Amino acid sequence: MLAALPAKANRRFLSALTRVDLPLGQVLYQPGTTSRHVYFPNDCTVSLVAIADQSTGLEVGLVGRESMIGIPLALGISTSPVRALVQGGGSAMRMTSARFGRELKHNRPLRRELHRCAYVAMATAMQTAVCNKAHVLEARLARWLLMTRDRAASDRFQCTQEAIALMLGVRRSGVTEAASGLQRRKLIRYSRGAMQILDRDGLLAVSCSCYGTIRELERTDGMGLAA
Amino acid sequence: MGTAPSFAAQTPRDNRLIAALPEEDYQALLPLLDPVSLPLGMALYESGGVQGYVYFPTSSIVSLLYVLEDGSSAEIAVTGCEGLVGIALFMGGETTPSRAVVQSAGHGYRIKAAALKTKFEAGGALQLLLLRFTQALITQMTQTAVCNRHHAVDQQLCRWLLLSLDRLPANDLVMTQELIANMLGVRREGVTEAAGKLQADGLIEYTRGHITVLDRPKLEARVCECYAVVKKEYDRLLPSAELHGA
Repeated sequence: MLAALPAKANRRFLSALTRVDLPLGQVLYQPGTTSRHVYFPNDCTVSLVAIADQSTGLEVGLVGRESMIGIPLALGISTSPVRALVQGGGSAMRMTSARFGRELKHNRPLRRELHRCAYVAMATAMQTAVCNKAHVLEARLARWLLMTRDRAASDRFQCTQEAIALMLGVRRSGVTEAASGLQRRKLIRYSRGAMQILDRDGLLAVSCSCYGTIRELERTDGMGLAA
Repeated sequence: MGTAPSFAAQTPRDNRLIAALPEEDYQALLPLLDPVSLPLGMALYESGGVQGYVYFPTSSIVSLLYVLEDGSSAEIAVTGCEGLVGIALFMGGETTPSRAVVQSAGHGYRIKAAALKTKFEAGGALQLLLLRFTQALITQMTQTAVCNRHHAVDQQLCRWLLLSLDRLPANDLVMTQELIANMLGVRREGVTEAAGKLQADGLIEYTRGHITVLDRPKLEARVCECYAVVKKEYDRLLPSAELHGA
């Protein structure tokens, strides 16, 4: 995302960033609490999870290097409505919210870019919302795996069944069953939290159309994801 | 609400975003606003379409529906006098991914897309307000998503009724079961059953397309937490966000 900014505006902004390691499972934001930093992922992926009844949830966004964590701050709001949970460990660049607010004030290209990120995030949330309602679990799992693969830029990544269950808003046993189905058809290999995508085209055929729609949305709005 | 209030009775300041503008910004916006009648079922945008106008409802409610490739759809947000319809325009989206349909007839104002974009880019109070509204809308969408996934249809129906009523001056809604089913993304029978339950418990009265809320406190006791989450965020983020039902 940062690479899309004009060089001059970018230099100043980049100098205010520090690198931070984000391990799997770390919670960056809790709903309703003040966000102290914004994050620009290098090679980590972060799930945005809407929470209901404290324990159940639903993933409404999956963010990697194509966007940022802290969209509300880009809109002038200091709290996040969702939980931001590190889904794939890695590193990110971060900046304090206060500094980010100041930078945003006199950086018009950045502001415009971030508004577009906010828009794409919103459209993705809508798509995910309806997808979860309309499509069968296996198709949704395939979509989620493809989205995660794009953001991790790798065919291998870590993810527990509990995490996937939370993301897709289903019970763990449902995930086990759907993942076994994909494994039997040799589309994925999954053991003890290590996921490997064996056949991307095969997964594409299983996935609902939402994967393509979200990708298209990101592409037309100028955000670069791995092919 | 069977009959919408007449044009003469409304001013742009019946919309809370417009009402919150400083006098100077308001006067600058005023000549660009045209009053518009919003009849039930009218589509303001089609999914994937280009937006000619942005709408500020005053006495109507507009439902944002997301349509999938296979044609299935679900409501992801409702907007009334507290907001505007068409945020994709100033957020940099080329086209709108959702369908916007008038869910409760009434009036509003509209402004040419290009004109609003120019005003937004100029910054100031208008930009700040629109961004805050965008964040409130994102909260409503994400909470709707998780609610649709986890909560019973009668709770979802309660949420939907309360969110709608907060955006209307009256205590009843004109609504067919098909429309509600479409909004909630469930089958018609599911809505019939849920509405029947609420009626049997004395919370609402439902006759021939009219839903009247009889007991709002009971409705608030029955609804899932999602209503409160959304309401709290709107109250916090938006100016004079005391909605009708508050």
